[in-house]
Amino acid sequence: MSKENEEDKNFMQRSTTRREFLKKSFEGAAGAAVSFSILNLFTDSAEAQGFELADGIVIVDPVKCTGCRRCETNCTAFNDGKAHPYISRIKVGQNYNFGKTGPTINYQNGDGQLGDFTIVGETCRQCESPRCINACPMDAIYVDEKTGARVIDKDSCVGCGRCAVACPYDVPTVDPETEKSTKCTLCEGEPSCAAGCPTGAIRYIAWEDVEHALIEREKLIENN
Amino acid sequence: MPQYKGWAGEILRVNLSTGSISTEKTAKYKDYIGGMGIGYRIMWDEVPENTDPFDEENKIVFAAGPLTGTGAPCTARTNITSLLPANPQNLIGDSHMGGHFSPEMKYAGYDAIVIEGKAPRPVWLRIEDGNVSLENASKLWGQGIFDTTANIAGMMGKEAQVAAIGQAGENQVNLSTIMTSGNHSAGGHGGIMGSKNLKAIGIVGTQSVEYAADKKDWIELNEFVMSIIGANNQHVVPSTPQPWAEYHDSSSRWTAQEGLYWGAADEEVETGICPPEDTNKIGYRTMKAIKDLGEISEDYTVRMGGCQSCPIRCHSSVEVPELEKYGVSRYVSNTCMGFWNHYYVNQNYETKKDNFLNKTLGAQLADDYGLWFNYGQLGRDLKYAYDNGILKEVLPAEEYNDIPWDLYEKGDPQFLVDLYRRIAYQEGEISHLGDGAAQLAERWNFGEDYWNDQTNSLWSPLGYPVHHANESNGQVGSLINLVFNRDPMCHSHQNFLGSGLPIKLQKEIAAETWGSEDAIDVPANYTPMNRAKARFAKWSLVRNVLHDSMTVCNWMFPMVTSPLKERNYRGDTTLEAQYFSQATGMNVSEKELDEMGRRILTLHRAMTVKQMGTVDMRNEHDQIVDWVFDMDPDKEPFDAGTIKMDRDDMEKAKTMLYQELGWDPETGAPTGETLDELGMQDVKRELANKNLLPYQA
Repeated sequence: MSKENEEDKNFMQRSTTRREFLKKSFEGAAGAAVSFSILNLFTDSAEAQGFELADGIVIVDPVKCTGCRRCETNCTAFNDGKAHPYISRIKVGQNYNFGKTGPTINYQNGDGQLGDFTIVGETCRQCESPRCINACPMDAIYVDEKTGARVIDKDSCVGCGRCAVACPYDVPTVDPETEKSTKCTLCEGEPSCAAGCPTGAIRYIAWEDVEHALIEREKLIENN
Repeated sequence: MPQYKGWAGEILRVNLSTGSISTEKTAKYKDYIGGMGIGYRIMWDEVPENTDPFDEENKIVFAAGPLTGTGAPCTARTNITSLLPANPQNLIGDSHMGGHFSPEMKYAGYDAIVIEGKAPRPVWLRIEDGNVSLENASKLWGQGIFDTTANIAGMMGKEAQVAAIGQAGENQVNLSTIMTSGNHSAGGHGGIMGSKNLKAIGIVGTQSVEYAADKKDWIELNEFVMSIIGANNQHVVPSTPQPWAEYHDSSSRWTAQEGLYWGAADEEVETGICPPEDTNKIGYRTMKAIKDLGEISEDYTVRMGGCQSCPIRCHSSVEVPELEKYGVSRYVSNTCMGFWNHYYVNQNYETKKDNFLNKTLGAQLADDYGLWFNYGQLGRDLKYAYDNGILKEVLPAEEYNDIPWDLYEKGDPQFLVDLYRRIAYQEGEISHLGDGAAQLAERWNFGEDYWNDQTNSLWSPLGYPVHHANESNGQVGSLINLVFNRDPMCHSHQNFLGSGLPIKLQKEIAAETWGSEDAIDVPANYTPMNRAKARFAKWSLVRNVLHDSMTVCNWMFPMVTSPLKERNYRGDTTLEAQYFSQATGMNVSEKELDEMGRRILTLHRAMTVKQMGTVDMRNEHDQIVDWVFDMDPDKEPFDAGTIKMDRDDMEKAKTMLYQELGWDPETGAPTGETLDELGMQDVKRELANKNLLPYQA
C-alpha cells in the first residue's frame, strides 16, 4: 500500500476501527465479573499458605499471538535440551485449533484457527498461594531465589502428577520421558518464550502490573 | 535409528485391506533423509508401474524429516507422495502442506505414515503415540473438512492435529486436496484417500523430538537464522522506503510499514517499522493479505498466521461478515493461490469488493470440499471452454441451462457456490473440470490453441501450468518447470530472484554461489544458455527436494541473501547442512547434503522413466508448449522486453542440466554410472532389467 496516497483514508478508517474497539472494550465491562473470578483463582488463599511473590509472570496477548508455537520449542530447548511441546510451560498448541473449550457445535465462531482466530495461550501465574505447591506430596516445588518462580526440584519430584491436576491453568505437565513434572521456571529471569516470540505477543510482566494485564487479556478473549 | 537424533526412528504402516498396523525402522531409509525421499523410495520399491492411482495397490506416504518438529524455523511441512491422478500418465508426484500435522506425527513417534490397500468401509486413522487404531468413519463420510476436523478433535481431544479430505476427495475428484488445520492444503492426492475409504488421520503426540547438538549450539543456530531471515519468500528489502533500509522494492513481501494495520484485530495492531534486528517483530513483516486480497483487505485482517515453528506469518486470517449470506463462516484463512484460484474462476467481477468476496468465499468453499485448482488452471480451463462455446457442445442442454451463467458473466461470487458443489460431488459433465487439464482437454476435445495460447498459462503437455518458469530467469525457471510430473513447487530460484536487491548485488552473489554472474540475467533481458545457469537450475532443484525431505519450507529457504547491510546482504547457504548435522548428529558438509538431494531427485527421475517405459525423457517428458517460443511475434528471443525462449537454446539448456545432474545428456535419463555413484545399484539393476538405462537399447 502506498503510504502517501492512502494516508488520509487510512486515518479515517483507523479512527473508526479504534472507536469500535474502545466501545467493545467498554461493553466488556461484563469482564469485571469475569476478572473477579479469574483473580479469585489467581490469588486463591484457600490453603492459606502464602509465598514470597515472583518477580512477575509471563502473559500471552490473544490478539497478537499467531499460533506459530515457537515459544513451546524455545521453552523446551532452554529448559530440557529437546523439542517437546507437550511439556512446554507455555501452552499454545492445545488451544490452537479450537480454543480452550475444544470444538463445540458452534466452533466456527469460537476461539482458535477453525474459529474466530483467537489463540489463547496458557501460562503459569506463579500464584501467590500456588495450588501446585500445596498439592505436591514431596514438597518438590520451591521458590527460586533469583526470580521467585515456583520451580520443581527434579530430584525430589516423583512424577505423581498431582500438581498437574491441581493447577487451574493446566500448566505443570509430567514429562513422559523423564517421569518428572515440569512447570514454568521463568528461565532465570529471561523467559525464552517471550524472547523468541516473533510478534511480541508474549510479555514478562512485573508483578505490580499483572492484575491489570490479566483483566485486559480476559476482556480481549471475552470480546471475540 | 538409535545412534542418530532428529528422526523419530519409526515409520507407521497401515494396511487398510487387512487392518494390519505395524511399524518399521526409519534407518532403512536414512540415505533418502525423509519426506519426499522416503516417499519416492517406498513408491519405487513397492508400487509397480502401470498401477492406477485409485487402485488398491497404490500407496500414499505422509512423511516428515529429521528437522520436522525440532522447532528450527520453518520446519513444519508435510510431504505426501503417491501417484498423481491428474497427471495423464499417473506419474509419481508430491503434494505438500504446512500447518501442525507433521510435527505432531513426529511427537507421536513416527517419521512417516504409509497407507496401503483399501478399507472395506469408510474409516479414519486414530494415532495417540503408540496407540493406533482404525475407527468407523461412516458418520464422517459426506462431511466437509471443517466439520470432520472438529468431530475428530471432539473425539481425540482439542489438541489433536487432523488431516482430512472433503467431499471432493471422497468422490475421487482428480483435483482434490488433503487438508489440515482448516487452511493448509496439499493439492492432488485427496482422491487417493477417498479411493482407500480413508477419511482422515488424527494425531496426538506427547513425545519429544531430540537433536544431537548441545542445546547451546542449537539455540545459537536458531538465533542466527532469526537474525538473517527476511520476509515471506526470503524477500530481504521492504516494499516501501523504511528508515532502516538502504533499498526497497514494491514487489517485496516485506510490507510492514507505519499506517498498515491488522485492521480487524480486537486491539490496535500496526505492522509498523520492522527493522531486521527486531526479532520480536518478524511476524509483522509480511502482511500477505494486501498482496493476495488487495488493499481492501486491510480492514478485514484479524491477524496473520501460518505453520508451526515459522516466524514468518504468510497466511492471512480475515473476517468477512458478508460471507455469511452465502452460507459459510465469516472467518477465512489462506495464502497465495488458496485465494487467487478463485480469481481465475470468476474473472468477470465488476467491483474490487466482488473480487475480494470471490477470493475469500472461494477459499472457504474449496477448503471445506477439499477442491484443488491445479495452480489456478481450473478457472482458466473453464474460461477457455466457455469463451469458445465448448461447454454448449459438451454439456447436455438440460445441464447447461441449469448452470447460472448469468452469475458467471457478472463474476458474481454466488456462482462459486453452484460450480464448486457440482465439481466436488461430480455432478454432471461440468464436473470434469476437476479431472485436470490434460484429461479435460482430451475429453472436451480442446484445440491446439488451448495449449498454445499464452493466456491459458499452460507449461507442459502433462497438463500443468507455468510456476516460476520462463518469467523467472529464462532457462533456469524453464528447466525447473520440466523435471517434475506436476507444477514444480520450487522456490529456490524464485526466492533469490525476488529478494529485492539491486541486480548488480544479485550478480555478485550469484557469482559467489554458482560460479559466474552470468547465472542470472536482467529480468526479461535474457542471454543464451550458459554453464552457470545450469548450475543454478541444478542447485535450485536439489535444494527443493532436500527441503521437502528434511522437511524445511522451500518458500523461505535457501537463504542466499539476508536483510543485513553489515553482511553485505549475504545469507548463508550452509544452513541446511548445519541443521541436518546438528539435528541428526551425522556430520555432513553442504556438498555432501546436496549430493543426498541429487540422489532423491535422481530417484524421482528413475521412477518417471520406469513408469513411462522410455529413457527418452527429453522428447517424451521434458516438453514445453509452443507459446513459450512463439510469443511476442515482433520480438526475437533474447531481445530486451520479452521472456520468449529459443527452441535450440532450450535443448542446449536441457543438455547442460542433464550433465550437471549426471543424467544422460542425450535422453535425460539417469545413467548407470550415476546410479552407482549415488549408491542406487538396486535401482540400476531394475532399470537394466527393464531395458531402461541409456545406451542399452
